[in-house]
Amino acid sequence: MRKTKTSLLAAVLAVFMILVSVTTACSSNSEETGQSSNSPTQSAAPQDNSNEATTYPIQTDKNLTYWAGINSNLAGIRSSLDEVPFFQEWQKRTGVPLTFISPTAGQQKEALNVMLASGEMPDVIEYSWISFPGGPEKAIKDGYIISLNELIDQHAPNLKKYLEEHPEVDRLVKTDTGNYYGFPFIRGDESLLVFQGPIIRQDWLDELGLEMPTTIDEWYTVLKAFKEKKGATAPLSFLSEGRLAALGNGAIIGAFDINQGFYLDNGQIKYGPAEPRYKDFLATMSKWYAEGLLDKNIATTDQKTLDANIISGATGVSLGNAGSQLGKWTPLLSEKDPRAVLAPAPYPVLNKGDVPRFGQLDNAFAVNGTAAITSKSKNPELAVKMLDYAYSEEGHMLFNFGIEGVSYTMENGYPTYTDLMMKNPDNLAPAQALSLYIRGNYFGPFVQDKRYSEQYNVLQSQKDSIEVWKTDAKSTKLPPITATPEESTELAKIMTDVDTLVNEMTLKIILGSEPLSSYESYMKKMETLNFDRAIEIQEAALDRFNKR
Amino acid sequence: MRPSASPSHAGKPVKSKEFVVSRLVKDLALNRYLYIMMIPVLAYYILFQYGPMYGAIIAFKEYSPIKGILGSDWVGLTHFQSFFESYYFWRILKNTLLLSLYSLCFEFPAPIILALLINEVRNKRFKSIVQSVTYMPHFISLIVICGIIKDFTNSGGLINTFITYLGGDGQAMLQKPELFRSIYIISDIWQGMGWTSIIYLAALMNVDQEQFEAARIDGAGRLRQIWNVSLPGILPTIIIMLILRIGNLLSVGFEKIILLYNPAIYDTADVISSFVYRKGLLEFGWSYSAAVGLFNSVVNLILLVLANRLSKKFSENSLW
Repeated sequence: MRKTKTSLLAAVLAVFMILVSVTTACSSNSEETGQSSNSPTQSAAPQDNSNEATTYPIQTDKNLTYWAGINSNLAGIRSSLDEVPFFQEWQKRTGVPLTFISPTAGQQKEALNVMLASGEMPDVIEYSWISFPGGPEKAIKDGYIISLNELIDQHAPNLKKYLEEHPEVDRLVKTDTGNYYGFPFIRGDESLLVFQGPIIRQDWLDELGLEMPTTIDEWYTVLKAFKEKKGATAPLSFLSEGRLAALGNGAIIGAFDINQGFYLDNGQIKYGPAEPRYKDFLATMSKWYAEGLLDKNIATTDQKTLDANIISGATGVSLGNAGSQLGKWTPLLSEKDPRAVLAPAPYPVLNKGDVPRFGQLDNAFAVNGTAAITSKSKNPELAVKMLDYAYSEEGHMLFNFGIEGVSYTMENGYPTYTDLMMKNPDNLAPAQALSLYIRGNYFGPFVQDKRYSEQYNVLQSQKDSIEVWKTDAKSTKLPPITATPEESTELAKIMTDVDTLVNEMTLKIILGSEPLSSYESYMKKMETLNFDRAIEIQEAALDRFNKR
Repeated sequence: MRPSASPSHAGKPVKSKEFVVSRLVKDLALNRYLYIMMIPVLAYYILFQYGPMYGAIIAFKEYSPIKGILGSDWVGLTHFQSFFESYYFWRILKNTLLLSLYSLCFEFPAPIILALLINEVRNKRFKSIVQSVTYMPHFISLIVICGIIKDFTNSGGLINTFITYLGGDGQAMLQKPELFRSIYIISDIWQGMGWTSIIYLAALMNVDQEQFEAARIDGAGRLRQIWNVSLPGILPTIIIMLILRIGNLLSVGFEKIILLYNPAIYDTADVISSFVYRKGLLEFGWSYSAAVGLFNSVVNLILLVLANRLSKKFSENSLW
């Protein structure tokens, strides 16, 4: 009797667990979808070929759904976009009521993935479509989003005008076959393109009587001095997700005349880790690591650890953005140590006097926040009209400066942020207050104005940074090229394996768990991963881009 | 789960189809309330457990949500092939199996030992405190656990501070491939041991007290009692749990892995699910992930059936 009792309990448990394991195995793959295959033609929409400017607010009784992330500056201040004054004003001005859907912060890609798989799509999706697997062309071809060529031509006079006046931008925002896939985020001035680079403890340099370092050798001297004389336990530290993520734009590694990923070298596509000089870079980094100059936890450093390192004085040199890092660390650090000064440092080079060839430089078309219209939208025309507002004179002011009299006032023809923004009575940092009223300080489908950053970068170090971080990256930066939908699957397949290999090799050699000499054997393995084909695909993509 | 048919028919040979039908009709009439009571359960399984399984066919298709599951193009075994031919296939298979086997060797016995120990405690108050304290970690969210693990194991973390204090050499432990499996398993034991021990404690409750008494009269000490009474008493439960565990040999969840790993320790930390996460999910490769998922499920099912059969043969305990 006893035995039957226990085995009954066990049997119930067993059946339960089997079912759980079976469902978890299948449920993630079996999202059911609507069978209707909406073809992405707009033939159903009433054709009115008027090319007149839309009058805002638009008189409409229709409602659009809009998918966009909530900016991280708003974390803890507003929980949904409906509650953000900017988005309320935007709806009022355009006359189009919007229902917002926002993914969990930091999970945009997963959320988009699940949403697309479910087949339930909103009218507008704001996403960095250029990084959509297979590129925007594939997103159109697979029927997620629609090509906007006709719609922009007929209903978006403001964007059309901007693109006509700026052919160099026009080239960036469409696909190889000439499809417009979204309303782009455009950085409207050269000075807005550079915002990231090395950051150093200026007060330590002064105290130790050291010059601002410009070469790798000088960096070594400075880091050593920071460690020995200032007691820094992690003299150089930075974000390191994957393969030392913070170096992705070419800091430090650029001194060796290569970059972390694909780059241009006299019009030729190269891949940094496959170049022999990558070994020199690894040698330097592993030496720094062994001597305790590079953060001991470099493989696991995240934002939280890095912030703690800077503020506690464990780190003297890092890499970051003028706004989100330099701007954040400076007040926090001076709270703890009033004499502390953070300053931007130039990108290091190998030989004194050289101009750094690599560094952070955005394209005028920044990839974040491209607003695309989905194939499921019943009112693509209305969506286009609504989105075009941002590129008008009035919309430009709203997106960059907010509401006149509330977030800015005109002083001698210069839109000046009010104290509500810059010295917020509720103690919000400028970045947070601005995020409530404008989109200029992050991204979105509009043209960014440089008068925003002139005021936003309040610290002298931030203002200096644009000049200090200047590099020759224009000649080495790869434009936003995309593989064809067919090739992109192949490219992705090769590159996931190559990335795994290179990430692993890089960290292992730097951390000293494998000798420098193993670099060659890794390169041999890389050949077997069909890496040459990846270069071929990228070259073809570049050719197509150049022919645009 | 089987319908409780009236036992009177048992043993009668089935003569013809008509006979079966008439028997069924008779039984339906006889036990109609039992059958009616079964309908919701049956409907639940068909609708929510078996129904969604048809979606697994996307493993053989190039799934596109716009075309739907049925409308997507067939690609045969392409996704399976690309998984098996993947450069890292053998490594991730090895890591998955090793992690699973280690967990079988160290994690599986832990709750049994804990349950036996708790069972021997005579002080009720102390017993319930120990039980509550050991379940507690089960309720902490995984992401918090992983945050704690990361903080404890970094070069300036708790564990390293302790090691340095004892004169050792502090190091970032999550950067050492050779330490990953230990960190993973030890933290798993810490988190899951108390919770899983409930099942064994429940089984121990069912062990006849008279047997203990008899053993004591025969002069058996505590250890003898555990060995000869408690353990055999919960053996059926242990075996069932073991069979189930073997049925999950290929499923190492990706959540904990991706929260803890980094490229420096791919050598030991990269498993099938984390690889698929990188390759499949982030690249929107629904079909690819489905193919790997299906492969895992099939292998797990085979292992489960085998383990069950072996157990039936050698210990007379089995799932079915």
